[in-house]
Amino acid sequence: MKLRSFFGILPPKIAYMLAESPVEILDVPEKLTLLCPERTPADLVTKVGDSVITGQDLTRNGKGPFLSTATGQIKAITDLKGPDGHDYVAVTVKADSPDSFDPALKTIEDIPNAGPVELRSAINRAGFYALNAISIDPSLWPPVDVVIVSALDLDPISIANQQTFRDHVEQVEAACQLLSRCTGASRCVLAVPENLSHVAQSVSGSMATVVLVPPVYPNGLPEILARKYGGGLLMRGNEEGVVGNTVVVSVEHAMAMVSCLHSGKPQLEKTITFSSTENGEPKNFRVRIGTPLAHLLHKVGIETQPKDKLILNGIMNGYTCFSNEQPITSTTDSVHLQRASQVFVFQNAPCTNCGKCNTVCPVDLEVNFLGRFSEYGIFDKCLVLGVENCVECGLCAYVCPARRPLVQFIVHAKRAINTEAFRGVSMEEAMASDTQGPIPPAIKLFDASPQENSSNQWAGGKVEE
Amino acid sequence: MGRRKSGRMKPLNLTVSPSPHCHSGARITGVSFSFLLALLPAAVLGVTYYGFDAVRVMGASVASAMLAEALIQSVFRKPITLADGSAAVSGLLLALILPASVPLYVVVVANFAGIIIGKQCFGGLGANPLNPALVGWAIIRITKTWGGFLDFDLMLINYDTGFILQYPLAVLKARGPEALSRFDTLALFLGKQTGGIGASAVICLLLGGLYLVVRGVIRWELPLCFLLGVAAVSGIFWMANKTTYASPLFHLLTGNVMIGAFFLATENGSSPVNRWGLVIFGLGCGTFTVILRAWSIYPDGVVFSCLLMSLFVPMLDKLKAKQIVARPTPLTALSKPAEERTRL
Repeated sequence: MKLRSFFGILPPKIAYMLAESPVEILDVPEKLTLLCPERTPADLVTKVGDSVITGQDLTRNGKGPFLSTATGQIKAITDLKGPDGHDYVAVTVKADSPDSFDPALKTIEDIPNAGPVELRSAINRAGFYALNAISIDPSLWPPVDVVIVSALDLDPISIANQQTFRDHVEQVEAACQLLSRCTGASRCVLAVPENLSHVAQSVSGSMATVVLVPPVYPNGLPEILARKYGGGLLMRGNEEGVVGNTVVVSVEHAMAMVSCLHSGKPQLEKTITFSSTENGEPKNFRVRIGTPLAHLLHKVGIETQPKDKLILNGIMNGYTCFSNEQPITSTTDSVHLQRASQVFVFQNAPCTNCGKCNTVCPVDLEVNFLGRFSEYGIFDKCLVLGVENCVECGLCAYVCPARRPLVQFIVHAKRAINTEAFRGVSMEEAMASDTQGPIPPAIKLFDASPQENSSNQWAGGKVEE
Repeated sequence: MGRRKSGRMKPLNLTVSPSPHCHSGARITGVSFSFLLALLPAAVLGVTYYGFDAVRVMGASVASAMLAEALIQSVFRKPITLADGSAAVSGLLLALILPASVPLYVVVVANFAGIIIGKQCFGGLGANPLNPALVGWAIIRITKTWGGFLDFDLMLINYDTGFILQYPLAVLKARGPEALSRFDTLALFLGKQTGGIGASAVICLLLGGLYLVVRGVIRWELPLCFLLGVAAVSGIFWMANKTTYASPLFHLLTGNVMIGAFFLATENGSSPVNRWGLVIFGLGCGTFTVILRAWSIYPDGVVFSCLLMSLFVPMLDKLKAKQIVARPTPLTALSKPAEERTRL
């Protein structure tokens, strides 16, 4: 990652790291930790001491399957708050025997003639329920206009997805075709970073339109791809509803779906990029899903020191880990170790209204106001300013001269808007209400009086020793 | 069923924080330093013309601005933010639009008034609705007894600078455009004109301002529209009556226009952020500058036009088109069989 231009009238550009690094396959550790989102231990059919086999669904019917990625014995089941702030159930599996696959995983005999629902059910069963962000019945999938298969990485320091595209370009077309068929999308787009255009030439283009994307952050983020090359709005949703018309799938996930239809095996491994501030060269590893970070760090020969920062999914929009026991999940793209001396500390400083954040915002939000409104708990104004359109790319906080934690403010406002006080409030109602209007400010992030923040400096919350 | 245990993943005192985990390295101090650097050529030119008097005014102004900020912040029990350099920039800007021989107590009072009334009463840097330097200048200018201290013809009479010791805008006001033939356009552009310590150094201010634009410290829309506004409106006046009004070039090269366009109007707290807001703000500043020069009792109108347009900023901030947010449609609306909805 480098700062391409900080000079000038043009906003600063952060280029994606474009490097080739062969994928090294890491062995399966003794102990795997599987993270299952939005579930409690009561949702699991297994208990401590049970034997599980690879591909076995550990949950009751409902929100989509949660598969074991190894064969062995369950050692512990806990619930925990994940580093991204969501609730998880963590299942620790001791992988003591070679993989034997669950017979319930079935291949589809006649893939060319299979119907969309049949394909979706198979993909859902193999653990790809995250495809459209809502884990609902495959027969209820919302209509999709455009499917984008992305060969771009999500973060500037990650090179895993582009490496997968280089290595397996011949399978990409089949993946595009399959995704078009099972989603019913009228258009399929293959997004390739500009520097890989020579690789993309081998794609015939009959199944997917190839678009060359400038490798400038945040062009690889799904929301931005959907805006620029898709139907406009990324599909997302929850139990209440669904919005959007474009599905973005990374090359690696798309190929894993194809291979699961052909072989019946779910996605067991994930390609990730490991990098640290010490040895600059990023390296790609293929690891079993559930591998704790400690295992990876041990293999690369790096030890975590106190107050280091372990960052998953990139330094621009990733999140930090409380522990090096944190496992790698199917959505982990990169692991980055930042030494304590390089940790950047946000300031609890007032906004100077310079407007740098507005010029870099890829979705054209008024971040200078969003930050202040959220800071003082005026969330209806945040709603009016379109805070929900924020893609959390982190560029605003990256350029802020006052070093305000702007992404934190925005995420805070988003969560407050999703609380009960704002359910069903339309944009018109929010616009009509003034700050003294009917919508109460829900939560305050922190008391803004200086005495409360005497240190005048905070980095989220540091874990108590 | 599994027993709920908390804290199985025992904390290993790693640092956690919200994203992003890196930063461009920009600081408010850096922004202020860029401003000081960009103003340096103009200040140096002022010193070459007016000698120690200019140093005296600039030193007193910067010192009193910083003292005012530190005092009021300690009275309000707020963290003292002298290190961000904004008070120093404000003090230097005020000094550069003053005549070199202004008494120091006037400088100190102007800075205290500007920093306390114009900035800290509203919450400090970024929350100030008006540029503190301009508030200080305007308060002195409208007082009956001290207003004369800001009259360049009176104050600079004892200097030998090698160019015409008459304030061009005052000559225009008193004797009309025919008297302006004495002023050489090139000399005006090179800063050889009577005026504020730094405000008359047109070429230095232009270079410094372009440096700020190229570094991305200030937005290019605002200075461009300010200068365009001055040129367009003075052009209309000039076309209408060439015997009463001066040419656009004369208006652009005299008075506080250059320092106003690049340094005074671009103050962050008192200018809008969105593009159309900046365009209207700049055009408005330029327009009011020329109108005040033509019809008010003051020779120059830059300061008052900047203050006037700053009052419109809350309105200009609302100019941006509102974002359209798609709210989720309920899942119940999707209960039709999927086969009917798919296009294959």
